[in-house]
Amino acid sequence: MRKTFGTSGNTGAMGWFFHRLTSIYLAVVLLIHFAVMHFIGDGTITYAKIADRLASPGWKVLDILFLYTGLYHGLYGLWNLLEDYIHNSFWRAFIYFLIAFGGFALVILGTITIVNFKKIGG
Amino acid sequence: MRYKDGYDFSYKLSVGQVAWILHRLSGLALMFYLGLHIWVISNLNGGPLAFNKVMELLNSPVFKILEIGLWGVILYHVLNGIRLLLIDFAGGAKYHKQLFWVVFLIVLILTVLGAIPFLHHLGGLK
Repeated sequence: MRKTFGTSGNTGAMGWFFHRLTSIYLAVVLLIHFAVMHFIGDGTITYAKIADRLASPGWKVLDILFLYTGLYHGLYGLWNLLEDYIHNSFWRAFIYFLIAFGGFALVILGTITIVNFKKIGG
Repeated sequence: MRYKDGYDFSYKLSVGQVAWILHRLSGLALMFYLGLHIWVISNLNGGPLAFNKVMELLNSPVFKILEIGLWGVILYHVLNGIRLLLIDFAGGAKYHKQLFWVVFLIVLILTVLGAIPFLHHLGGLK
C-alpha cells in the first residue's frame, strides 16, 4: 500500500528550511554590507573601494555567498507569495518558469561580476 | 462586510496580520531592489569610468533619500524575520504581539539613527 497516497512526496519542507537557514546568514551579512557601504566612511561608492574589497578572498567569498543566499531567499519568498494568489495551473507554471529563468539570469550576471572582477587602472 | 442576516464577515486587522502583510510587502520590495541592484553593480564589468559615472548618479540627493527608505524596509524585514524565527523555533508564539511592538520600536529608532549619516552625506558635511 502506498504511504504517500495522492501526493508527489515532496512536502516542500527542505525549501522552507533553507529559506530560514539563509535568513540567518542574510540578516548578519546584509547589516554588515549596509553599514560598510553607507555608515562607515564618507558614504560614496567608487570603483576603487570595491576593487580593494574584492582583492581580498574573504570579501569575495562573503559576497558570492551573499549573492546566492539572497537570490534563493528572495526568489523562494516571491514564489511563496505569488502562489497564494495564482490558482490557474497554466499561470502557476508560467510564473514559476519566469522566476526560475530570471533567477538563473541574475545568478549568471552576479557571478560574472564578482568572480571575473579584475581591477582596471591604478 | 455585514450581511443581511446580521453576520459580520469583516476582517479586523490584528497585529499578527499587519506584521504578515508588512513582511510580504517589504520582501517584495527587497526582491525588486535586489534584481535592480545586481544589474546596476554589473556595471563593474565596464571598468572604472563607466562604473563611477553610474555611481555619481546614485550619490545624488534623490537616491540618498530613497536609501533611507531602503534602510527602513531592510530593518523591518530583518527584525520581523528574527521575530518569526523566535516564534517558530524559540517558543515565541505566546508573545508574538509584544514581539511585534518591540520590532516596531527598534525599526523606528534605527531608521532615524541611520538617516543621520545619509543626511550628512546629502549636505556634503561628510
